[in-house]
Amino acid sequence: MTETTGERLPPVPAVVAAEQFAREGEVAVGTPPPEIPGRKGRLRRLIVYAILFCVALLFFIPFFWDVTTSLKTLPETAGFHLWPKHPSFKAYDNALTTFNFKRYFANSFFIATVVTLMNLFLSSLGGYAFARLRFPGREVLFFFVLATLMIPNELRLVPVFQMLTDMPLVHWHLIGTYQSYFIINLVGAANLFLMRQYFLTIPKDYEEAAKLDGAGYFKTYWRVMLPLAGPALAAVTILTFQGTWNDFFWPLIVFLGNEDIFTLPLGILKFKSEFNTQWPELMAASVIAILPITILYVFFQRYFVAGVTAAGVKG
Amino acid sequence: MAAIAKRQRGKTLESEGLKEALVGFGFIALPIVSFLIFFIYPLGYAAYISFFDWGPLGRVANVGLGNYREAYHDFLFHKALKNTLLYTAVVVPSQMALGLTLAVTVNQALRFRTFFRAAFYFPAVAGSIAITAVATYILASDGLLNSAVGAIRGTPYTHSWFGESSTALWSIMGLNIWTTSGTMMLFYLASLQSIPTEVYEAAAIDGARTWRTFWRITFPLLKPGHFFVAVVSVIGSLQVFDQAFFVSGGGGGPNYSTMTIVLYLYNTAITGTRFGYAAAIGIILFAIIFTLTFVQRMLFGRAEVA
Repeated sequence: MTETTGERLPPVPAVVAAEQFAREGEVAVGTPPPEIPGRKGRLRRLIVYAILFCVALLFFIPFFWDVTTSLKTLPETAGFHLWPKHPSFKAYDNALTTFNFKRYFANSFFIATVVTLMNLFLSSLGGYAFARLRFPGREVLFFFVLATLMIPNELRLVPVFQMLTDMPLVHWHLIGTYQSYFIINLVGAANLFLMRQYFLTIPKDYEEAAKLDGAGYFKTYWRVMLPLAGPALAAVTILTFQGTWNDFFWPLIVFLGNEDIFTLPLGILKFKSEFNTQWPELMAASVIAILPITILYVFFQRYFVAGVTAAGVKG
Repeated sequence: MAAIAKRQRGKTLESEGLKEALVGFGFIALPIVSFLIFFIYPLGYAAYISFFDWGPLGRVANVGLGNYREAYHDFLFHKALKNTLLYTAVVVPSQMALGLTLAVTVNQALRFRTFFRAAFYFPAVAGSIAITAVATYILASDGLLNSAVGAIRGTPYTHSWFGESSTALWSIMGLNIWTTSGTMMLFYLASLQSIPTEVYEAAAIDGARTWRTFWRITFPLLKPGHFFVAVVSVIGSLQVFDQAFFVSGGGGGPNYSTMTIVLYLYNTAITGTRFGYAAAIGIILFAIIFTLTFVQRMLFGRAEVA
């Protein structure tokens, strides 16, 4: 355990990853053990590669089927065709316009963007305070933040639903509005944890220099600390955007009854319940939901890995 | 001069400390308030109303332990509990075994390590609903899986995997083992990271074979990893909801075979507006999660925060 944590956190994967991420800006996850030379080495390696490729293929088939079906016409889905005879984007066109997925896409994008921005700001500001500023009760409050990770969503369902139906004191009715989702997702405890761990590893010299220049706390945070926390901010961005984009549980509850603000998962559910076996359109809708995250994943893989291992307590 | 300067600095240092504390509180104020309102208060509120018959208009009657007693006798709650526990008992060991196998394999000095790691983690990146939609097609009576089974058997096969009560829950298990094992792999990889390479070198010098090295050295040293993965996996499994909701349209069918605790809770609260009873179910689930986490902690003997 390095000194940088400032406390005795056990070497569980999340903590190991958070620390390594903070030190190296990346989580390599796994140093290969040294090769043990042997006569059967070559054959064994070949078998390992073969198995790995087969498993990777098995992991890949559903997505392949998803994409090819979305390019088919409904009659063509009846038989078994690996690739459509006349690939067409008709199903996408239908899904986006007739079945409103353009709207759902825009909603998902809007909600995920707002929630990500709020999380970026509040988790980095709070993480900076927890890592650097001295105030009474700091450790207790940080432990309190981590403890909220223990409280399951379902337990919160009834109270949160009731609060959003009729907010005590102010009597806001927020069910069926964007705001309801924003207000319950201001900032995630896992993001705060990740940002704090990251800030702890940044040498204090930078801030001292800023302080000598007469910079205040917020300016130090904004001008000095944030630019140094790039990788952690990237991980928070990816993690939050993906989590919000894919979220089903809370949108299902708080967007109740207002189809105009449905996100992609809710749109897919609605489509499935109304047009049970319109497979090409359903597959097109699921590709529309999966593709943006896939693109993010391809380009920012290391932040995905870092974020999930360091802070991802989402089962 | 010097004395005055020193005194002034002492004074500023003191007010500086106060300022720092105030700014610190200010920076964490919004998160703390939001956690209080949307996490801590709901915990207390749910515990409180679980002792009442509580409807959309508020308190109807004080029923004491009535809601808990009802859960004890409720056929559907039993069914949901049984399904969820069976699901957990199957999914957790499978996810752990698969996650560990993938991690140890990818952890070797292979070519394309990054590619394999990325490929195995990919299903976890895609959203649960989008991927369940794909699964409903693959497992449909005229789906890809049945085409494959039919081709092997030589006769057409038209079993509806999500449509028959005998296979619906098992299909969800298979789906989630597949999608989440990549996440477990990442946790195990991070855990493998904390094993110093010298340990392996020593084993190699002693002439220990790969298999033995794994069982004698790697596996026991991964203890914190096992604990973490087990806890995350158990908590996630006990809360299974999205997939069950999607394949059954929210009803937990066919024949309540996909009714899980959270799905039942959702139906009780949102469809049935029986908030008191739903809160009681939430408290029971929380108690189960808490107990199982505690039991695992005893088993693995390790304190844990995150």
